[in-house]
Amino acid sequence: MKKLKNHVNELFKDVPESEQKNAVIQEVIQNLEEKVWDLMEQGKAEEDAINKAIVDFGDIGDLKKELGINPSVKKDNTKLNLGYSIWGSLLIISLFVFINFYYTPDVIWFVYPTFAVLWWPLTMYFKWLRNK
Amino acid sequence: MIRSDIIRGHLDSIILRLILEKDRYGYEISKEISSRTDNRFQIKEATLYAVFQRLEKKELIESYFGKVSKGGKRKYYGITSLGKAYLKETVAEWEETKEIIDLFMEGLN
Repeated sequence: MKKLKNHVNELFKDVPESEQKNAVIQEVIQNLEEKVWDLMEQGKAEEDAINKAIVDFGDIGDLKKELGINPSVKKDNTKLNLGYSIWGSLLIISLFVFINFYYTPDVIWFVYPTFAVLWWPLTMYFKWLRNK
Repeated sequence: MIRSDIIRGHLDSIILRLILEKDRYGYEISKEISSRTDNRFQIKEATLYAVFQRLEKKELIESYFGKVSKGGKRKYYGITSLGKAYLKETVAEWEETKEIIDLFMEGLN
């Protein structure tokens, strides 16, 4: 029976550790042992019975998928990012406006950096729209 | 043995049906499937446990530990009311599917 346990543990080796995984392994081993007992009652030698149980078990690809790490739903941050970018750019633009009118009131140049800064909220707005 | 990929899509229903009759554990279900089909269809145990996981996640079945047997504690599965409703739906769907496929598969000989 040790061989059976080893085999099952080997099968599940690359499944990430979790309570669920251990529960399934316990269940699988329990059921396989019962199968082995059953086969032995039908007159098979223990060695043969174990081998048959292992061969019959099949491929655990599907099971692995069920046990795999559930891809956690990625939080949608785009709205927050958009809000942040709008407030941030307003702050930067008002700084430029202040410097412009305080130090060089004769030359209006704050428009140029304003255009540059506006790319930021625009990009975030685009990302937000795309995510909606 | 029959090609299992055609049956695959209906494994959930097959297993729900067996659990509907009475609460059962894993090995019992695989034995039952083999004996009812005269070994024409055998479910791989690995597949069986994948189905259990899926059904339990969807809350169509629930599990509990039964009495200790030779090996250890058996894990039994019972159907939930949601599972019963789901099974009823898939049965109706199957009837419909059967009729549609029959339209094209029958009367060729």
